[in-house]
Amino acid sequence: MKETQQVKRDAKQLFRLCLVNGLLDENRVDQVVQRVIETGYRNRFKVLAEFRRWVRLDRTQHMATVESATPLSAEFQASLQAKLLQIYGESLSVAFAVDPTLIGGIRIAARDDVYDGSVRARLAALKTAF
Amino acid sequence: MPDILREIENQISQAKTPATKQNVGTIRELADGVAKVEGLSEAMLNEMIDLGSGITGLALNLEETEVGVILMGDYTQLEEGDEVRTTGKLLQVPVGKQLLGRVVDTLGEPVDGKGPIQSDAFYPVERMASGIISRRPINHPVQTGIMSIDAMIPIGRGQRELIIGDRATGKTTICTDTIINQARLNKAAEDAGDTGYRPLYCIYVAIGQKESSIARLTATFEKAGAMPWTTIVAAPAADSATSQYLAPFAGAAMGEWFMDNGMDALVVYDDLSKHAVAYRQISLVLKRPSGREAYPGDVFYLHSRLLERAACVEEKYGGGSVTALPIIETQAGDVSAYIPTNVISITDGQIYLDSDLFYQGIRPAISVGISVSRVGSAAQIKAMKQMAGHLKGDLAQFEELAHFAQFGSEVDAQTQAQIDRGERIVELFKQPQYNPIPVEIQVAVIWLVQNQYADDVPVERIKEFQAKWTDFLTDRQAELLKKIAQEKELGDALQAELKDAADAFKGTWK
Repeated sequence: MKETQQVKRDAKQLFRLCLVNGLLDENRVDQVVQRVIETGYRNRFKVLAEFRRWVRLDRTQHMATVESATPLSAEFQASLQAKLLQIYGESLSVAFAVDPTLIGGIRIAARDDVYDGSVRARLAALKTAF
Repeated sequence: MPDILREIENQISQAKTPATKQNVGTIRELADGVAKVEGLSEAMLNEMIDLGSGITGLALNLEETEVGVILMGDYTQLEEGDEVRTTGKLLQVPVGKQLLGRVVDTLGEPVDGKGPIQSDAFYPVERMASGIISRRPINHPVQTGIMSIDAMIPIGRGQRELIIGDRATGKTTICTDTIINQARLNKAAEDAGDTGYRPLYCIYVAIGQKESSIARLTATFEKAGAMPWTTIVAAPAADSATSQYLAPFAGAAMGEWFMDNGMDALVVYDDLSKHAVAYRQISLVLKRPSGREAYPGDVFYLHSRLLERAACVEEKYGGGSVTALPIIETQAGDVSAYIPTNVISITDGQIYLDSDLFYQGIRPAISVGISVSRVGSAAQIKAMKQMAGHLKGDLAQFEELAHFAQFGSEVDAQTQAQIDRGERIVELFKQPQYNPIPVEIQVAVIWLVQNQYADDVPVERIKEFQAKWTDFLTDRQAELLKKIAQEKELGDALQAELKDAADAFKGTWK
């Protein structure tokens, strides 16, 4: 138990070292991983697994995925991206994907928020309503 | 047909709502009825979480990177990586008179097979207790129908009286008898068209009990005709720890509805020891720090915030009351364990049931010495106050003297008289289960003993003497009983009438 807590504390500390002005610096992440492996510290892989989790959580906080049933026009994509950056800050990276199972409409997942305007979601709501 | 079409159109229009923002997370870990969820950055404490597949959870731990959610329902369908979402709602249960006569689970869903409950009101399970300003002093009795309690340890409407004792000492029976007596009183008032009488609605919360025990209890209530005024909230042993943890709070919410609407309710929590165990399980799985006996640090607050919800409020705040009868099971009579001491200090008194007394045949096995009601005689009708004023002291003194006398030492005449009187009172207070006694008969019986009419009756014939006197009163002196019940006070005229009746009865007694 004590050891696990120490591992968590170490990983969090390493993650903090990788932040520059509140944003994750990829070079520092690489450096940290390299250095930790080189140390030969007994729990290094456990620490790195926990460190990876911190990085993953950070990534999801700065990522948005826009899914649509058919490809969106470049113009629409640009306006959508501008709007998302306005809401979630400039550090947000927006990815676009096509998912035909949505049937129609779009689904935006940004940070922990989901805006689901797809036909699939509406059908699901209809199913629950019945 | 047009109705169906309209209904379909209505449903479709509701489903056509524009895309709204939802806060989501993913299940990272799932074990022992607790899910650790990543994301859910906007989750609030105690908020309901929708885990999909019709399963709801409660956000109990808000941590830096994840949320600890306790689950309700069959969570075996959930998988790691599933998407969950916040609902923005607190956990609510249906409340109201529609729940009377029903057996429901923690969420207020019926489990008695009598069809759905059409309730239009919902109350949050966790709610702040009434404040200082809204409360008023307790002065109205809960007639339990158990003579020793009504005479010596009176319970008032709005009080919290703990019932504590070892296993199989009759704790549940006291509550069952009380509920049955309320049904008798409610029905009598209803039949007589007495609008002045405030019916007492009962909510029995079964926590971690066997399903068979709950079924037996329901049958007992049905047989006694108590179900029309009673709701049973069942969180049996097979239910998840979450259900068992939330059941008393659901029961309290159902009681509060009566209080807010100017009615009186009685909530029995059977029992809070198992409730504490369920909460301990949840806390340990949530990795909260454990304290004494591995209970979490807030186990006191768990019970204090539950029992604080029992109250008697002023007219302008509803004018109703919620009385709480929590039950605690002790191990080998140890009242100094963690949970018993906690609940003793929270409640307004306790009824201690002693297993030694139980096996001596003194049932209900109430140990008068350490049982107490801090509301006291304010919760008694005046006639009972007049009769039973010194009873508790006399009986406690008798127990002490009886200890001396059992060594066979000689005692003086006065002490012997005290012992004799004590033995008769103890005998008088023995009472079979499911047999509540109306308060007017209790008063008449105690009056008879207090006025030396029973002094020459052998101890072993006291029960027979009491039964005959009760029969005599109900058969021949029904008017007198009615007067006692109505006037609620033994004035000189009533005392004289009682004396005449007692003299007449004594003449027939052989």
